[in-house]
Amino acid sequence: MTAATTVVGSWRTASARAWSGAVPPTVLLSFAVLLVVLLWSLLPGVFATQDPVNGVPADKLLGPSAAHWFGTDHLGRDLFARVVHGTASSVTSALVAVTIGVVVGGAIGLVAGSAGGWTDVVLARVVDVLLAIPSFLLAVVIVSSLGFETVNAAIATGVSAVAVFARVMRAEVIKTRRAVFVEASVLQGGSRAHVLLRHVLPNASRSLLALAVLQFGLSILVIAGLAFLGYGDPPPASDWGLLVSSGKDYPTAPWLVYAPALVVVATVLSVNRISRWLRRTA
Amino acid sequence: MNASYLRFAGRRLLQAVVVVLLAYVFTFVVISVLPGDPVTNTLRNPENGFTEEEIARIVAYYGLDQPVVVQLWQSLSHFVVGDLGVSLRSNLPVTRLVAEVVPSTLALAASALAVALVLAFAVAYGTQNLPRRYGQGVLRALPSLFLSVPAFVVGLLLIQVFAFQLGLFRVIEPDGAWATFFAAVALGIPVSAQVAEVLITGLDHESRQEYAAVARSRGLGQARLFAKHLLKPSSLPVVTVVALTVGELLGGALIIETIFGRTGVGSLVQRSVSTQDLPVLQAVVSLAAVVFVVVNLLADLVYPLLDPRVRLDRAPRKAAGQPGPEQPTPEQPILERQVSVP
Amino acid sequence: MTVTAAAPAGVAAAPASSALLRVEGLTVAYGRTHVVSDVSFTLGRGESLALIGESGSGKSTIARSLLRLLPDAGAAHGRVEFEGRDVLSLPERQFRPLRGRSLGFVPQDPGSSLNAVRTIGAQAQEAAALTGERDAGTRRRLILDTFAQVGLDDPGRVYDSYPHQLSGGMLQRVLIGLAVLPRPALLVADEPTSALDVTIQKRILDLLSELRADLGISLLLITHDLAIAAERADSLVVLRDGVVQEAGPTAQVFAAPRSAYARELQADVPALNPDRYRALRETRAGSAGDPGSAEATEAAPRIELRGVTKAFTVEGRRLTALDDVSFAVRHGTTHALVGESGSGKTTAVRLLLGLDQADDGEILVAGEPVHGRSAAGLRAVRRHLQLVYQNPFTSLDPTWRVERLVREPLDRFGIGDRAERTVRVREALAAVGLAEELLARRPGALSGGQRQRVAIARALVLRPDVLVLDEPTSALDVTVQADLVEVLVRLQAELGLTYVFVSHDLALVRQLADTVTVLHRGRVVEGGEVEKIFATPAAPYTRRLLDSIPHPSGG
Repeated sequence: MTAATTVVGSWRTASARAWSGAVPPTVLLSFAVLLVVLLWSLLPGVFATQDPVNGVPADKLLGPSAAHWFGTDHLGRDLFARVVHGTASSVTSALVAVTIGVVVGGAIGLVAGSAGGWTDVVLARVVDVLLAIPSFLLAVVIVSSLGFETVNAAIATGVSAVAVFARVMRAEVIKTRRAVFVEASVLQGGSRAHVLLRHVLPNASRSLLALAVLQFGLSILVIAGLAFLGYGDPPPASDWGLLVSSGKDYPTAPWLVYAPALVVVATVLSVNRISRWLRRTA
Repeated sequence: MNASYLRFAGRRLLQAVVVVLLAYVFTFVVISVLPGDPVTNTLRNPENGFTEEEIARIVAYYGLDQPVVVQLWQSLSHFVVGDLGVSLRSNLPVTRLVAEVVPSTLALAASALAVALVLAFAVAYGTQNLPRRYGQGVLRALPSLFLSVPAFVVGLLLIQVFAFQLGLFRVIEPDGAWATFFAAVALGIPVSAQVAEVLITGLDHESRQEYAAVARSRGLGQARLFAKHLLKPSSLPVVTVVALTVGELLGGALIIETIFGRTGVGSLVQRSVSTQDLPVLQAVVSLAAVVFVVVNLLADLVYPLLDPRVRLDRAPRKAAGQPGPEQPTPEQPILERQVSVP
Repeated sequence: MTVTAAAPAGVAAAPASSALLRVEGLTVAYGRTHVVSDVSFTLGRGESLALIGESGSGKSTIARSLLRLLPDAGAAHGRVEFEGRDVLSLPERQFRPLRGRSLGFVPQDPGSSLNAVRTIGAQAQEAAALTGERDAGTRRRLILDTFAQVGLDDPGRVYDSYPHQLSGGMLQRVLIGLAVLPRPALLVADEPTSALDVTIQKRILDLLSELRADLGISLLLITHDLAIAAERADSLVVLRDGVVQEAGPTAQVFAAPRSAYARELQADVPALNPDRYRALRETRAGSAGDPGSAEATEAAPRIELRGVTKAFTVEGRRLTALDDVSFAVRHGTTHALVGESGSGKTTAVRLLLGLDQADDGEILVAGEPVHGRSAAGLRAVRRHLQLVYQNPFTSLDPTWRVERLVREPLDRFGIGDRAERTVRVREALAAVGLAEELLARRPGALSGGQRQRVAIARALVLRPDVLVLDEPTSALDVTVQADLVEVLVRLQAELGLTYVFVSHDLALVRQLADTVTVLHRGRVVEGGEVEKIFATPAAPYTRRLLDSIPHPSGG
């Protein structure tokens, strides 16, 4: 009877929503770009058959061509192969950085937001400190103290991202804790831990996911910046930032700068697009 | 200036002092994690040419023969009175080294901020007032693009085009007007993206608000609606965002100064990193934190004066309102305020 | 169909040529979705017409098309003739002078309809500028006069205030003032009172009627409330899903609705049908049907508040939310807590459920005090005392599915095994009239009415004795509200439930409650049997509340 009519009504709204929530083409394209990047990092040998480390000196500084898509560098190494083989290191280190940020920052935010009181005040000051030191400077100091390696650059980037995650997580937890459905769960006999783990955390983690994706893109940029300044693994490693850095010494061969730069831009742009889409749909 | 504002300002000031001191301690701890004993290693490096007496004086000055906690205490007590110590590399007071490079970096950061604001407001203006078919979509995509390009790539591109191709400036004269301008552009572009993102989000949000439709119903056209109604509420968050990007400007200067060959805080940091000149590193990082905290303190103190909605007393909204137990606290320092990360 | 028949209705006395506003075949679409389809009506000079419909009926979209304030994605087709000119085909440059000067607009939510960071005076100057007056001082006097005319006590203070410093009722007066200041020929009022308290609602509607009479302004009233429309408008247009269901003079549409939807709407409006659930309520097991019976009065009350007082301290100031409040609810009956915002009714609910502690007084549930219980003790009380929140859009966790939402209380209280819980979840859903297909849905894929049913099912699944219903239908459309109230009354008859029903809507209370407590600023103004209080209200405040129930002349 009445129930039947409302069910029918909602079918229409539900399907309408599903249609309007269709994945936009630019987001699909972004996923495609990231898929390529993922495959490059997993199976570099399949995509770039030329040797990324030992070049052919006779073929040095060749412009982009069918044989060398991104041209060759001063030692005659195929730049495309170097970019593809540098993907794994560039992507993994960004992942490490984001993981550190999410886990440490998320934990700080969760504790601060759910405990409140003095714990919150103390943690808020800790986060303020991390926020107050310019993150790139902080990363430089940390990496210089741990040693110039890509892994350390990743850790440094992760630490400098902790503050952002902690802030967002804390705000989300506080917002969700005030939600009516959380009080409803308490009224239905939900314990503190139950409410925190089953209601607050899942709701708060939606924004955290979008932020994590965004931060992944930023981390690629920060780690590339550290590599550019020479604070990552030294050559013959071929991290994207390092490739740009060594390419800048050859102004007559601009592809050495712009080919790896384009790869960075395409990757980060795709990541940003997906993060924006996640925020819209969350 | 009422009592609640003064209470708020006092508490905020106290917080800022605490944060600066903690930042100093944190930096000290990070730096002293360094394996080995780089300080004495550097001191005894014959290239630096310290005499044994000088070394003894420096070791005593820094208390390097003391436990770490005592070293920290001494270092902190010097910092509080404005003594930043002596460079291990050049044996000059760190204050002097820093003072030499600060003006150049400040000039660069300020111009970058100016470039960022002009660019951001121009883009945001375009997204609201240009006809839809003339490139609104392109303008809306710009902030995302600006955020995806590494600053060093922008810098290299600008040099390639304007120095090498067009010959507007020469790389060997890094302090020339054009060179400074393009360095500021490279540094300002990522910042402009964040400001523009906040502005566009704000403008879109405000123009969807009921009051915008009601204002239109009073006969206002798009231009007056934008200028009189939408711009102010959308620009208020920019105060917060700009304050938060100060750190980015200082951090980004590291890379941009390298690329453009400028002498500044960035190049000082790089030199100190490669020579393990710890007192200089400690000083630069702590000063950067001071700058960040002071700027954000100012933004926090100014904000309530700009936005009539912010009430610092926790009185209920209306006298008749339900004094529910879950009144949100309107007082929220900027560092804890949720700013949408673009 | 009915449209052409209705066209002359609004202007029955006047020749068609003097029509101020003539809408013909108006269609509005967002992309391929039509929200308004082929709507026509006519409004004469000095007349009033009401567009009636529930959410999604397209009534506000029509209002906005007339003012050309649709969002960019919306496209309006058809003909909208205002003072003989086709509004839709005019270039923006020629249309804009009409806005404000000839076409005034009163929005729905006064709280969001003024720019929060500008003073009211600055915004009023925009309206005053439309009169063509050049002298700023004269404009200011004009504004202050208008503020006084719309019943604002201290025009000078209002002029210098920011919007957040005024109450909703005052803001709506400001907005009406700004709309009538340039003396437009037509005022479009989009649900002008739905965001306001009932007594203020009536005053705002009275103000609109007065201004219409004094200034000769025509009124296009958009509302979801058939009773208000019938009370205030000369003619009615009933809309559903963007299509006109019925149109004509108020007396005709209201007294003898021909379309099925108009009849349903009329039957669902509480103010028009005080006895709608009487038969169903009388099937209850002899409890409330005969309030005078000895058994009923002697049995201990299921819920009792005795002299309950609660104050909050806000920045050093003490605000008394509840002051010496007492009432009792008999087993198997419905007790209504009635009041406007700030009356303390929400505080009373929170105290009853042990979410806050009273400063003074006693709260007894089945003779046992709620006050001073441990967490475990409260848990035991709450098992038999469940709450249904006002807004089903916030009271259900958006990440959970219906099945888990309804099962949560069983899981938390560890009742039955897995199979038994599944059975009880399905029973609860069936009891509130929800189909089993919905079990796997998340709240986002449910309508407001469905969500509220899920919330009720969740409250019922523990088989409690008492349901506290905190304005459970105020966020819903009237037809949805009527369905839901029917479910509640039926459940009470079947399960012998006791309800504490919080509401601001006296007409609704009259339909379903046995006893009532009227709260005003934290104090009990009046309490007792619903029928007695409605027949002979003793307190002036109760009388004011009762007066605010619309009394359509056509009914």
